[in-house]
Amino acid sequence: MNILVVDDSRVIYAMVKKMLEEKGHTSLWAEDGLKAIEIIKENNASNTKIDVILLDWNMPNMNGIEFLEYNFKEKVTTTPVVMMTTENSPESIKKALSLSAAEYIMKPFTSDILFNKISLIEMMF
Amino acid sequence: MVIREEVYKFFADYIYKITGMVYVPSEYYRLDSRINELVQIFSLKSVEDLYEMYVKEITPDMKAVLVNISTNNETYFFRDVKPFTLLSRVVLPEILTNFPNEEIKMWSAACSSGQEAYSMLISIRNTTDDANFERCRVDGSDVSIKALDKAKLGVYNGLEIQRGLPAPMIIKYFRQLDPDSWAIDDSLKFKTNFFEFNLLTGFYPQEKYHIIFCRNILIYQDNENKGKILNSIYNALKKDGILVLGAGESLVGIVAPFQQIQFDGYTVYKKDSKG
Repeated sequence: MNILVVDDSRVIYAMVKKMLEEKGHTSLWAEDGLKAIEIIKENNASNTKIDVILLDWNMPNMNGIEFLEYNFKEKVTTTPVVMMTTENSPESIKKALSLSAAEYIMKPFTSDILFNKISLIEMMF
Repeated sequence: MVIREEVYKFFADYIYKITGMVYVPSEYYRLDSRINELVQIFSLKSVEDLYEMYVKEITPDMKAVLVNISTNNETYFFRDVKPFTLLSRVVLPEILTNFPNEEIKMWSAACSSGQEAYSMLISIRNTTDDANFERCRVDGSDVSIKALDKAKLGVYNGLEIQRGLPAPMIIKYFRQLDPDSWAIDDSLKFKTNFFEFNLLTGFYPQEKYHIIFCRNILIYQDNENKGKILNSIYNALKKDGILVLGAGESLVGIVAPFQQIQFDGYTVYKKDSKG
């Protein structure tokens, strides 16, 4: 799978990239929601498929929820989005799911949790 | 890279605080690869640099990376998924029909900290109407008192709750007690009864259960013990009751009078009505 990781933390991206590579997945990195939209549009234009988006909540410029709201209106992508965040209240989860996030990972998490969520996504989409 | 005792202790204590995983001093060497992995992830020069960084401040990102490399992951909600789909969509509907007006008794025979028992109830709650759900009860047993205490409490941390549970089920069946602990809904908890039981030496009830889950236990037993446990389980099942084993387990090499039934590539074992 080709996975877009949207997170302002280079360390978190390095960790997730390593997890994904160990399972044979490729990844792209965007450090905020705006950059993610740019990458998605570029990939749409070149017909490069992104299979899953892992999306942090708290980021500068455009945060994860703003990204979901934007995508909800503008339909930039139909790729399933998995939130990956320290925001871990039931209200946060409900809000993200109501804005069409397909799954939700609370930080901290382990690689088995990440792949469990990705396999749930594979079953759903 | 030689790692000082003080450094080991610092990481061992922190991992214990966050995950409950214990590294005693004689096992500190098990942290070597994990600590060195952290050094790489943070692009540092040495373990001492890493130690200095963590002692100074542990940011949420640093916590996330440390937790990720320090845990192993044995207990899941919905482990293997298929047994629970079978339970709620095939096995239980048949049992409900065959035993009208009866309380349906299920047993999670090696329940550890309760995830299997609660997964059984969640899958049933998701697919069964209120009246039939009311008829269901799940017993859970294990040899570990510590695990049973956790099962009875029904409270799980963020890592545990995310192992196997889709997000919509977390918000539907759990309430958050504090940022890192989630309690199973009382409507499910009240349907359980957890008790200590050793499958090899315990005194089994006779013809009590309609459905027994005994997964990933037999795989660790020799054939003699397997046969002993399976025959005791056979006696504990009601006629037409169903036994569900783990995905890698079978009755090969065992003499036990079960009828094997295939559902969607998964074998379950029925106590023959002649039994």
